[in-house]
Amino acid sequence: MVRLRETSENIDESQEDEYKKIIDRTIKINKDIFILSSLLNKQMCGYDLIKEIFQDCDVFLSQGTVYPILYSLEEEGILQAEFSKGDMRSKRYSLTPKGRELAQKRLDDFAKAILHVSSLIRR
Amino acid sequence: MFRDAISGLDRILNAEIPQGSVVLITGGEGTLKSGLAFGLASNYLAARGEHGLYATLEQTEESHMQNMKSLGLSKSNGMHIFDYWDMRREWKNREPDLIKTTGEVIDFYEDKHEKMTVLVLDSLNALFYLSDESTIRKDMYHFFSELRDRGLTSFLIKESSTCAEGRLSTTKPENFLADGVIELGAIERTEGVKRFIRITKMRSAKHSMEKHQLVVEEDGLHILGPIY
Repeated sequence: MVRLRETSENIDESQEDEYKKIIDRTIKINKDIFILSSLLNKQMCGYDLIKEIFQDCDVFLSQGTVYPILYSLEEEGILQAEFSKGDMRSKRYSLTPKGRELAQKRLDDFAKAILHVSSLIRR
Repeated sequence: MFRDAISGLDRILNAEIPQGSVVLITGGEGTLKSGLAFGLASNYLAARGEHGLYATLEQTEESHMQNMKSLGLSKSNGMHIFDYWDMRREWKNREPDLIKTTGEVIDFYEDKHEKMTVLVLDSLNALFYLSDESTIRKDMYHFFSELRDRGLTSFLIKESSTCAEGRLSTTKPENFLADGVIELGAIERTEGVKRFIRITKMRSAKHSMEKHQLVVEEDGLHILGPIY
C-alpha cells in the first residue's frame, strides 16, 4: 500500500489540510479496496487492519465500518477466516483463491479509475 | 405480517405492529427473549422477501444459531447476523462507542440491501452498559429516534432480572420511549413452571393485556391460551 505519510512530505503545509480531507474521504468511501489491498500479502485480524491503514494512510476506519465488511466478504467466499495457532482470541482473515483474483482486478480497476479521474482535471 | 410470524400471536395482537416501531422485549433469563425476537424477524422477512439485521452484542453467531436451532427456529435468507464478539475482544482495552458502532453497522446493511426493514438488538443492556447515568435518558431518546427515522421495525431485547438489569434498572426510560413492550416471564404452577408472554404496550395496535402461555415445539415457538 502507498504510504500517505511519505507522499505528503512534498505537500505545502497550507495545502495539507485540504489534501488530507480528500485522502480521508477517498479512503473512507473506498474502504473495501484498502482492506483488500492490506490483505493481499498477509493474514490480518480486524484490529491489525485498522491499525495498519491508520499507520500507512493516517486515516482511522472505525470498527463499525470495517468488521461488517470483513464478515460480508467472508460470507461471499472472498475471505477466509481462521484462528491463530494457540490464540483463539484472534480471528485472522486472508484472501481465498477466488478472492485473490477478484481483489487483483478490483485494485487494478481502482488504480486505473483514479488515474483517469486525475487526468480529467484541468490545472 | 408480524402477527403471522409466530403461531398464536394473533391471539394477543389484534392489529399489525406499525412499520418503524421500536418494541422492547423484556424478561429474565431463560424466558425466550432472543428466540421470540429471532422468530418474529426471521419468519416475517421470509414471508416478505425483505432483509433484516440481528445484532448480537454478547454471543457469537455460532452459539446464537445453535441456541435458535435448539428452539426449532431457522434463519431466513434475508436475515443477517452481526456479532460484536471479535470486535469487542480485539478492542477490549479501547472498546469503541457501541451506540455509534451500531449505527455504522446498520448503515452498512442498509447500503447493501435495498429492503432492510427489521432490526433486532440483543441486548439493550449491553449496548448501554458504558453509558453515563446522567446522559442515558438522552442517549436512549436519540437512539430510539434514529431507529424510527430509518423506518426500521426494531425489537430491542432487555434483560430485566434484578441482578442482570444493571444500569437500566434505575432509570427505565426505555419503557416510556418505546412504542411497544412485550413482557416475557415464567409462572410457577402446581403442574410445573410455565412460560408466558404479555403485551403491555403497543402504540396504534389493539392488543390483549393478559398473560398467554408460550411454549417451544419442534417447529418453533407457539402462543397458547391465557394463563391465570
